[in-house]
Amino acid sequence: MIGNDIVDLSVAQKQSNWLRKGFLNKIFTETEQDLILNNNNPHQLVWQLWSMKESAYKIYVQQHGKRFFAPNKFECTLENQTQGIVTLDTQKYTIQSKITDNYVYATASLQHQAKVESFCFKIEDTSASNQRTTTYRQLKKMVHKRCNIPILNLKIKKTQAGIPLLYHGNKRICFPFSLTHHGNYGAIAIDDNNLIRTSTGLV
Amino acid sequence: MTKDELLVTLKNIVKPYIQDEEAFINLTENTDFINDLKINSANLVDVVLDVEDEFDIEIDNDAMEKMLSVKAAIDIITTKLNEK
Repeated sequence: MIGNDIVDLSVAQKQSNWLRKGFLNKIFTETEQDLILNNNNPHQLVWQLWSMKESAYKIYVQQHGKRFFAPNKFECTLENQTQGIVTLDTQKYTIQSKITDNYVYATASLQHQAKVESFCFKIEDTSASNQRTTTYRQLKKMVHKRCNIPILNLKIKKTQAGIPLLYHGNKRICFPFSLTHHGNYGAIAIDDNNLIRTSTGLV
Repeated sequence: MTKDELLVTLKNIVKPYIQDEEAFINLTENTDFINDLKINSANLVDVVLDVEDEFDIEIDNDAMEKMLSVKAAIDIITTKLNEK
Protein backbone atom coordinates (compact mmCIF):
# COMPACT_ATOMS: atom_id res chain seq x y z
CA MET A 1 0.00 0.00 0.00
CA ILE A 2 1.12 3.50 -0.72
CA GLY A 3 -0.21 6.99 -0.13
CA ASN A 4 0.72 10.38 -1.50
CA ASP A 5 -0.12 14.04 -1.03
CA ILE A 6 0.83 17.25 -2.80
CA VAL A 7 0.47 20.85 -1.61
CA ASP A 8 0.68 23.79 -3.99
CA LEU A 9 2.58 26.26 -1.81
CA SER A 10 1.19 29.47 -3.29
CA VAL A 11 -2.39 28.16 -3.26
CA ALA A 12 -1.91 26.99 0.36
CA GLN A 13 -0.78 30.51 1.23
CA LYS A 14 -4.07 31.87 -0.13
CA GLN A 15 -6.33 29.10 1.22
CA SER A 16 -5.00 28.71 4.74
CA ASN A 17 -3.65 31.04 7.36
CA TRP A 18 -1.66 28.67 9.55
CA LEU A 19 -0.88 31.54 11.92
CA ARG A 20 -4.56 31.70 12.79
CA LYS A 21 -5.15 31.09 16.50
CA GLY A 22 -5.68 27.39 17.16
CA PHE A 23 -4.74 26.21 13.67
CA LEU A 24 -1.34 24.67 14.46
CA ASN A 25 -2.72 23.14 17.66
CA LYS A 26 -5.41 21.20 15.82
CA ILE A 27 -2.94 19.70 13.34
CA PHE A 28 0.48 19.41 14.95
CA THR A 29 1.96 17.90 18.10
CA GLU A 30 3.90 20.20 20.42
CA THR A 31 7.20 18.85 19.10
CA GLU A 32 6.12 19.54 15.53
CA GLN A 33 4.98 23.05 16.44
CA ASP A 34 8.42 23.74 17.96
CA LEU A 35 10.08 22.49 14.77
CA ILE A 36 7.88 24.75 12.65
CA LEU A 37 8.27 27.89 14.74
CA ASN A 38 12.06 27.51 14.92
CA ASN A 39 12.49 26.78 11.23
CA ASN A 40 13.69 29.47 8.84
CA ASN A 41 11.02 28.49 6.32
CA PRO A 42 8.00 27.76 8.51
CA HIS A 43 5.47 28.00 5.65
CA GLN A 44 7.24 25.24 3.73
CA LEU A 45 7.65 23.07 6.82
CA VAL A 46 3.97 23.40 7.79
CA TRP A 47 2.97 21.97 4.44
CA GLN A 48 5.77 19.42 4.30
CA LEU A 49 4.62 17.95 7.62
CA TRP A 50 0.97 18.23 6.60
CA SER A 51 1.64 16.29 3.36
CA MET A 52 3.50 13.62 5.36
CA LYS A 53 0.48 13.17 7.64
CA GLU A 54 -1.97 13.11 4.75
CA SER A 55 0.01 10.55 2.75
CA ALA A 56 0.22 8.27 5.82
CA TYR A 57 -3.50 8.79 6.46
CA LYS A 58 -4.23 7.59 2.92
CA ILE A 59 -2.59 4.26 3.75
CA TYR A 60 -4.45 4.07 7.06
CA VAL A 61 -7.78 4.40 5.24
CA GLN A 62 -6.79 1.57 2.86
CA GLN A 63 -5.79 -0.57 5.85
CA HIS A 64 -8.92 0.06 7.89
CA GLY A 65 -11.54 1.33 5.43
CA LYS A 66 -12.48 4.03 7.88
CA ARG A 67 -12.20 7.80 7.48
CA PHE A 68 -11.55 10.24 10.29
CA PHE A 69 -10.00 13.64 10.84
CA ALA A 70 -7.25 13.64 13.43
CA PRO A 71 -4.11 15.09 11.88
CA ASN A 72 -2.36 15.59 15.22
CA LYS A 73 -2.50 11.85 15.93
CA PHE A 74 -0.05 11.28 13.08
CA GLU A 75 3.36 12.15 14.51
CA CYS A 76 6.10 13.19 12.11
CA THR A 77 9.79 12.57 12.66
CA LEU A 78 12.25 13.95 10.15
CA GLU A 79 15.40 11.94 9.46
CA ASN A 80 16.72 14.53 7.05
CA GLN A 81 15.34 17.13 4.61
CA THR A 82 13.37 14.65 2.54
CA GLN A 83 13.03 11.46 4.58
CA GLY A 84 10.93 10.84 7.61
CA ILE A 85 8.60 8.60 9.55
CA VAL A 86 4.98 9.12 10.50
CA THR A 87 3.78 7.19 13.53
CA LEU A 88 0.18 6.45 14.42
CA ASP A 89 -0.14 4.37 17.59
CA THR A 90 2.19 1.44 16.84
CA GLN A 91 2.10 1.74 13.05
CA LYS A 92 5.02 3.39 11.28
CA TYR A 93 4.87 4.82 7.78
CA THR A 94 8.02 5.55 5.80
CA ILE A 95 7.90 8.94 4.10
CA GLN A 96 9.82 10.29 1.16
CA SER A 97 9.33 14.01 0.41
CA LYS A 98 10.06 16.14 -2.59
CA ILE A 99 10.35 19.87 -2.06
CA THR A 100 10.40 22.44 -4.84
CA ASP A 101 9.79 26.19 -4.87
CA ASN A 102 6.24 25.52 -6.07
CA TYR A 103 5.07 22.50 -4.13
CA VAL A 104 5.82 19.98 -1.42
CA TYR A 105 5.03 16.35 -2.09
CA ALA A 106 5.12 13.25 0.11
CA THR A 107 4.79 9.54 -0.50
CA ALA A 108 4.15 7.06 2.27
CA SER A 109 4.80 3.35 2.24
CA LEU A 110 4.69 0.57 4.80
CA GLN A 111 8.14 -0.80 4.16
CA HIS A 112 11.46 0.71 3.29
CA GLN A 113 11.80 -1.63 0.34
CA ALA A 114 8.64 -0.56 -1.51
CA LYS A 115 9.67 0.91 -4.82
CA VAL A 116 7.44 3.96 -5.03
CA GLU A 117 7.59 5.75 -8.35
CA SER A 118 6.04 9.18 -8.54
CA PHE A 119 5.11 11.47 -11.33
CA CYS A 120 4.26 15.11 -10.54
CA PHE A 121 2.55 17.27 -13.15
CA LYS A 122 1.11 20.74 -13.66
CA ILE A 123 -2.65 21.33 -13.84
CA GLU A 124 -3.60 24.52 -15.70
CA ASP A 125 -7.35 24.67 -15.01
CA THR A 126 -7.74 24.39 -11.25
CA SER A 127 -11.50 23.69 -11.06
CA ALA A 128 -12.15 20.72 -8.76
CA SER A 129 -13.53 18.57 -11.60
CA ASN A 130 -10.62 19.29 -13.92
CA GLN A 131 -8.07 18.56 -11.18
CA ARG A 132 -9.65 15.15 -10.77
CA THR A 133 -9.98 14.28 -14.47
CA THR A 134 -6.41 15.42 -15.18
CA THR A 135 -5.07 13.26 -12.35
CA TYR A 136 -7.13 10.25 -13.49
CA ARG A 137 -5.91 10.73 -17.06
CA GLN A 138 -2.27 10.75 -15.92
CA LEU A 139 -2.73 7.44 -14.10
CA LYS A 140 -4.46 5.88 -17.10
CA LYS A 141 -1.67 7.09 -19.37
CA MET A 142 0.97 5.55 -17.15
CA VAL A 143 -0.84 2.21 -16.90
CA HIS A 144 -1.48 2.27 -20.66
CA LYS A 145 2.22 2.79 -21.36
CA ARG A 146 3.42 0.07 -19.03
CA CYS A 147 0.72 -2.56 -19.48
CA ASN A 148 -0.43 -1.78 -23.00
CA ILE A 149 -4.11 -1.54 -22.08
CA PRO A 150 -6.08 0.97 -24.21
CA ILE A 151 -6.81 4.12 -22.19
CA LEU A 152 -10.51 3.95 -23.08
CA ASN A 153 -10.81 0.57 -21.36
CA LEU A 154 -9.42 1.90 -18.08
CA LYS A 155 -11.78 3.25 -15.46
CA ILE A 156 -11.28 4.62 -11.98
CA LYS A 157 -13.97 4.26 -9.35
CA LYS A 158 -13.90 5.38 -5.77
CA THR A 159 -14.94 3.24 -2.81
CA GLN A 160 -17.18 4.66 -0.10
CA ALA A 161 -14.13 5.50 1.94
CA GLY A 162 -12.86 7.49 -1.06
CA ILE A 163 -10.13 5.09 -2.14
CA PRO A 164 -9.69 5.07 -5.94
CA LEU A 165 -9.62 1.66 -7.61
CA LEU A 166 -8.56 0.96 -11.18
CA TYR A 167 -10.57 -1.24 -13.54
CA HIS A 168 -9.87 -2.75 -16.94
CA GLY A 169 -13.45 -3.09 -18.18
CA ASN A 170 -15.14 -4.79 -15.25
CA LYS A 171 -12.00 -6.41 -13.95
CA ARG A 172 -10.10 -4.70 -11.18
CA ILE A 173 -6.40 -4.17 -11.72
CA CYS A 174 -4.91 -4.72 -8.28
CA PHE A 175 -1.75 -2.80 -7.77
CA PRO A 176 -0.83 -0.18 -5.20
CA PHE A 177 -1.22 3.42 -6.31
CA SER A 178 -2.23 6.76 -4.85
CA LEU A 179 -3.47 10.00 -6.40
CA THR A 180 -3.32 13.59 -5.22
CA HIS A 181 -3.95 17.09 -6.51
CA HIS A 182 -3.97 20.58 -5.10
CA GLY A 183 -4.09 23.91 -6.91
CA ASN A 184 -1.89 23.80 -10.01
CA TYR A 185 -0.19 20.50 -9.19
CA GLY A 186 -1.05 16.85 -9.19
CA ALA A 187 0.86 13.61 -8.68
CA ILE A 188 0.46 9.89 -9.04
CA ALA A 189 2.46 7.37 -7.07
CA ILE A 190 2.66 3.72 -8.03
CA ASP A 191 4.43 0.69 -6.66
CA ASP A 192 6.48 -0.06 -9.70
CA ASN A 193 7.40 -3.66 -8.92
CA ASN A 194 3.78 -4.57 -8.43
CA LEU A 195 2.51 -2.90 -11.59
CA ILE A 196 4.99 -4.80 -13.73
CA ARG A 197 4.06 -8.09 -12.08
CA THR A 198 0.35 -7.32 -12.52
CA SER A 199 0.74 -6.52 -16.20
CA THR A 200 2.72 -9.68 -16.92
CA GLY A 201 0.10 -11.81 -15.17
CA LEU A 202 2.37 -13.00 -12.39
CA VAL A 203 -0.04 -12.03 -9.63
CA MET B 1 -31.51 27.38 18.33
CA THR B 2 -33.56 25.10 16.07
CA LYS B 3 -31.96 22.51 13.85
CA ASP B 4 -32.86 24.54 10.75
CA GLU B 5 -31.23 27.66 12.18
CA LEU B 6 -28.17 25.61 13.03
CA LEU B 7 -28.01 24.26 9.49
CA VAL B 8 -28.19 27.80 8.03
CA THR B 9 -25.37 28.98 10.32
CA LEU B 10 -23.25 25.97 9.42
CA LYS B 11 -23.89 26.55 5.72
CA ASN B 12 -22.58 30.10 6.07
CA ILE B 13 -19.49 28.82 7.88
CA VAL B 14 -18.52 26.29 5.21
CA LYS B 15 -19.32 28.57 2.25
CA PRO B 16 -15.86 30.19 1.90
CA TYR B 17 -14.17 26.78 1.70
CA ILE B 18 -16.37 24.82 -0.70
CA GLN B 19 -15.16 23.93 -4.18
CA ASP B 20 -18.35 22.39 -5.53
CA GLU B 21 -21.13 24.96 -5.94
CA GLU B 22 -23.76 22.45 -6.98
CA ALA B 23 -23.23 20.22 -3.96
CA PHE B 24 -23.36 23.35 -1.80
CA ILE B 25 -26.69 24.47 -3.27
CA ASN B 26 -28.10 20.98 -2.70
CA LEU B 27 -26.59 20.66 0.78
CA THR B 28 -28.43 18.28 3.11
CA GLU B 29 -27.57 16.54 6.37
CA ASN B 30 -25.96 13.76 4.36
CA THR B 31 -23.53 16.06 2.58
CA ASP B 32 -19.89 15.13 3.13
CA PHE B 33 -17.49 18.05 3.56
CA ILE B 34 -14.64 16.51 1.61
CA ASN B 35 -16.26 14.08 -0.84
CA ASP B 36 -19.22 16.29 -1.79
CA LEU B 37 -18.31 19.91 -1.08
CA LYS B 38 -14.66 19.21 -2.06
CA ILE B 39 -13.43 21.18 0.93
CA ASN B 40 -9.66 20.92 1.09
CA SER B 41 -8.79 18.86 4.16
CA ALA B 42 -6.57 21.62 5.59
CA ASN B 43 -9.60 23.94 5.40
CA LEU B 44 -11.56 21.46 7.49
CA VAL B 45 -9.49 22.83 10.38
CA ASP B 46 -10.83 26.30 9.55
CA VAL B 47 -14.38 24.94 9.56
CA VAL B 48 -13.74 23.47 13.03
CA LEU B 49 -12.23 26.75 14.30
CA ASP B 50 -15.06 28.83 12.78
CA VAL B 51 -17.63 26.54 14.44
CA GLU B 52 -15.84 27.00 17.77
CA ASP B 53 -15.91 30.79 17.38
CA GLU B 54 -19.48 31.02 16.11
CA PHE B 55 -21.04 28.80 18.79
CA ASP B 56 -18.51 29.56 21.54
CA ILE B 57 -17.82 25.87 22.09
CA GLU B 58 -14.68 23.74 22.13
CA ILE B 59 -14.33 20.95 19.60
CA ASP B 60 -11.93 18.52 21.24
CA ASN B 61 -9.86 15.99 19.29
CA ASP B 62 -12.39 13.20 19.73
CA ALA B 63 -15.17 15.35 18.29
CA MET B 64 -12.99 16.69 15.47
CA GLU B 65 -12.18 13.13 14.39
CA LYS B 66 -15.81 12.64 13.40
CA MET B 67 -16.46 16.01 11.81
CA LEU B 68 -16.57 14.87 8.18
CA SER B 69 -20.20 15.57 7.30
CA VAL B 70 -22.97 18.06 7.90
CA LYS B 71 -24.80 15.53 10.07
CA ALA B 72 -21.74 14.83 12.22
CA ALA B 73 -21.12 18.56 12.64
CA ILE B 74 -24.73 19.21 13.70
CA ASP B 75 -24.59 16.34 16.20
CA ILE B 76 -21.35 17.63 17.68
CA ILE B 77 -22.53 21.24 17.90
CA THR B 78 -25.83 20.18 19.50
CA THR B 79 -24.05 18.02 22.07
CA LYS B 80 -21.55 20.74 22.95
CA LEU B 81 -24.29 23.40 23.21
CA ASN B 82 -26.27 21.16 25.57
CA GLU B 83 -23.20 20.69 27.76
CA LYS B 84 -22.88 24.44 28.25
